[in-house]
Amino acid sequence: MNPICRVLDARGLPCPQPLILARKALAEGGFDMLEITVDDPASRENLLKFAAYAKCQVEEERVEGAQCRLRLTPSGASSPQAGEIPTCASAPEAGRAAVVLIAADGIGQGDLDLARLLMRGFLYTLTESEHLPRRVILMNSGVRLAIKGSGSLANLKKLEDRGVEILSCGTCLEFYKLTDTLAVGGITNMYEIAGHLLEGPTVSIG
Amino acid sequence: MLLLATYASSHEALRAEQILKAAGLQVELIPVPRQVKSSCGFCLLVDVQDHGHLLQESGAKGLWRVKEPEPGQYRRNYEPHL
Repeated sequence: MNPICRVLDARGLPCPQPLILARKALAEGGFDMLEITVDDPASRENLLKFAAYAKCQVEEERVEGAQCRLRLTPSGASSPQAGEIPTCASAPEAGRAAVVLIAADGIGQGDLDLARLLMRGFLYTLTESEHLPRRVILMNSGVRLAIKGSGSLANLKKLEDRGVEILSCGTCLEFYKLTDTLAVGGITNMYEIAGHLLEGPTVSIG
Repeated sequence: MLLLATYASSHEALRAEQILKAAGLQVELIPVPRQVKSSCGFCLLVDVQDHGHLLQESGAKGLWRVKEPEPGQYRRNYEPHL
């Protein structure tokens, strides 16, 4: 008997729509393989992460340009329920921030040069800190810190080398047309961000 | 050689950063470390090579030698530089 394949075309859909479609389809079930075609890198990364979380086998086929076709085969164990969010296995150290959320490329209101200066200083200081958060999440203009030519790039890379996961909001990168210039860390989506923020103590800055 | 240069104000530190970068030096603007005395909260880490005179010209008020952290440590140390 041929395996039942469900086909989704998510080309042209803004992030996180493709992910939502895939989650919904997987929750519904009734197929052996889910084939989903996407055309933006952020959606592709989201789907790959989601597939790993949902314990699906993934086959990837590059179509053309940024287009690619992902074939997800559920392992049959437990398919994730809608609303369930990927969370990290290990608990944060008591009293320490698990996540630093950076929601702007500067700290505080007021003069923009000063705000940016403070943010650069903050990220440098983090690299000298003994205790690090598990993740740094960049949103809105905060994603500018992680792109080519950013004065904070070297410091974010240092943090990454020390095991901190650097995650940039895919919607924000796309909004500012910076997706192609991301130079450190990965791309994430609102589901993952919400999951991470609820996972442990969070410090918000920016 | 990596030196830390302090300035009278953040504005001067920012201006010096531009001057030194324009001269081709590697510069990083960082918050003034606890060990270092300065009237302003930001200073510059500068790889001066043989362009020490540029630091004076940039308006530096104080100069400190930088000791990189030992393995397993993350904080740099600083000693006054004559």
